[in-house]
Amino acid sequence: MTMRNLSESCTRVFRAIWRRGSGRYALTVLGLWMAVAVVSLFWTPQPLLATDGYHVWAAPSAAHPLGTDGTGADVLSWLMAGSRTNLVIAALTVVCSGALGLLLVGLMVSRRAGLGSVTVAVVDALISIPTVLIALLLTVPFGASVGVIVGACSIAYGLNLARVARPAAMLAARSDYVGSAFAGGASGWYAFTRHVVPNIAPVLAVQLSISAGTSVLAEAGLTYLGVGVGAGVPSWGHSLATSVKFINVFPLTVLWPGLVVTLAVVALNLLGDALVRVGEEVAR
Amino acid sequence: MSVEVRGLNVAIDGRPIVRDVDLTVGDGERVGLIGSSGSGKSMIARAMLGLLPRGAEVSGSVLLGGTEVVGAAERDLADLRGRYVGVVFQNPGASLNPVSTVARQIALPLRLHYDLTRAEREERVMAMLAKVGLDESVAGRYPHELSGGQQQRVGIAAALVTSPRFIIADEPTTALDSIIQRQITDLLVSLVDDAGASMLFITHDFSVLARATTRCAVIDDGRVADRGATADLLAAPSTPEARELVESARRLTLDPTLETR
Repeated sequence: MTMRNLSESCTRVFRAIWRRGSGRYALTVLGLWMAVAVVSLFWTPQPLLATDGYHVWAAPSAAHPLGTDGTGADVLSWLMAGSRTNLVIAALTVVCSGALGLLLVGLMVSRRAGLGSVTVAVVDALISIPTVLIALLLTVPFGASVGVIVGACSIAYGLNLARVARPAAMLAARSDYVGSAFAGGASGWYAFTRHVVPNIAPVLAVQLSISAGTSVLAEAGLTYLGVGVGAGVPSWGHSLATSVKFINVFPLTVLWPGLVVTLAVVALNLLGDALVRVGEEVAR
Repeated sequence: MSVEVRGLNVAIDGRPIVRDVDLTVGDGERVGLIGSSGSGKSMIARAMLGLLPRGAEVSGSVLLGGTEVVGAAERDLADLRGRYVGVVFQNPGASLNPVSTVARQIALPLRLHYDLTRAEREERVMAMLAKVGLDESVAGRYPHELSGGQQQRVGIAAALVTSPRFIIADEPTTALDSIIQRQITDLLVSLVDDAGASMLFITHDFSVLARATTRCAVIDDGRVADRGATADLLAAPSTPEARELVESARRLTLDPTLETR
C-alpha cells in the first residue's frame, strides 16, 4: 500500500512538473544526461585514451564532433564519460546531504531538552565554513578524489538543508497530528520518520535538487583548483580545467564543458523551481 | 478501566497550571471535566498520558488501571498510549496528518501495538470505519477531502481501533457545528458504552457535557471548584465558580431545556 501510494504520488509529481515549460526542460536535460551516462559505459565516439597528435586543439569535424583538446583527445568522448562522474557525484551528494540534513533536523526538533538548541548552534557555526575549505581539509588525508567532492558537498549542503528545513520541521513536530501520533503510542523516531519527514518532503525535494545542481558547479570549481576528481578521471570539471588556460586561443574547447555544466545546473535549478510550484499547488 | 488521580499538580516553568486535583473515573463510567479555556483541563488530560510539554513539573499520582503514570519510563508510557488509552482531539482537521490516508491513520495504533498482517489490519480498519458511520470509500482519502464531522469520525476511529479501556476526549466537539456536535457526542458515547470502556470527557459546553457524562468536575484556575452528578450540577451549582459557568453557558446557548435535562 505504501509503495503503491509512493509510486502514485511520484507519477503525479512527475506529470505536474512536465506540464510546466521549465519543468519539461529540466526533465529533458536530466533524462538526456542519464542516457548519455549509460551510453558512455559502452560507447564513446573515440576511446578516452586515444590521442590524435596531428589534430591538437582541432575545430569540430566529422571525426571529432566537438573538436579535440591539447593532447588531441576527443572532447565529446571526454564529456560523455564525464557525465557519468558528475551524475554519480550529484546522486551521492543528494543521498548523503539528505541523510545528514535529516539527521540534523531530527536532532533539532527532538523533544529532549537542550539537544535541539545545541544542534542549532553547532549547525550555525559549521555553516560558516565554505565548501572549498571543507574540500581542502578533506584532501589532506584522502587526496583528490570523487569522494572528497561528495564529502565536502554533503557536509556543506547537509548543514544548509538542516537550516532551511528546520522551520517546516518544527511546525510539523509541534503539530496536532504529531501530538495525536504520540497519544497513539508512537516513539519520537516513529513520529519523525512517518509524520514529520513526509510533511517536509516538498522543502527537502527543492533543496536537494538545488544541491545536486550546486554539486556540479562545485565539482567544476574544485577540480579546477586541483582538489576535485583525480588526474585522468573524466569529468566536466576536468574538461574545463584542462582547457581553460587556453581560453583566449581556443575558446571553443572551453565552451563545450562550460555549456554542459550550465545546461545541467540550470536544469536542476529549474527542477527545484518546478517542485516549489508543484508543492504550492498540492498545498492549495 | 478505572482511573485515579490523586493530588495532581502540574507547573510549567514554575507557573502552576493544575493544583492538587483529585479525580476518579470508575470502570465503565463517563466523567466530564468542564471549565473555561485556560483552566487547565487539557493539562490534566496530558498529564494522564505523560505527554506534558517541555519544562513541565508534575507531582501527585495518576493511576491508569493500577499503572502509575507520573514518573513512569517513556517506553512504558508509549506502550500504554494507544493500546489501553485512546485520545480524541479537539481539532480533527489539524490532528490528522495531511499527507497520510484515512486508513493509514486509523491503523496507526494497531501498527504500533499489535503484530497483525496487512489483511487483518485492513479488516479491523474497515470494521472501525463502519462503526463510526463512514463509508469504505473514505479509507483511501486524505483528511482535506473530508468534512469536519467526517474528520472527527476518523479521529474517533483511530482512538478506538485498539479497543482501549479508557478514552480521553479532549473537547472533541468544540470545532464542530451544533448538529454535528450532537451526532459526534452520541456516537462517542454509544461506542464507549458498547465497548464497556471508561471515558474522560473534556469540554466547556454544558449541553454536550449533559449528553456525554453522568458525573463531572468543574475546573477553575487549575483546581476542582465543584463536582457531582452532571444533572445536579447543572440544576443547582453549589459553588460560585460553577454557578458562573452554568449561567454564562445558559446565556450563550439560550437553551431553556438545559435545566431539565
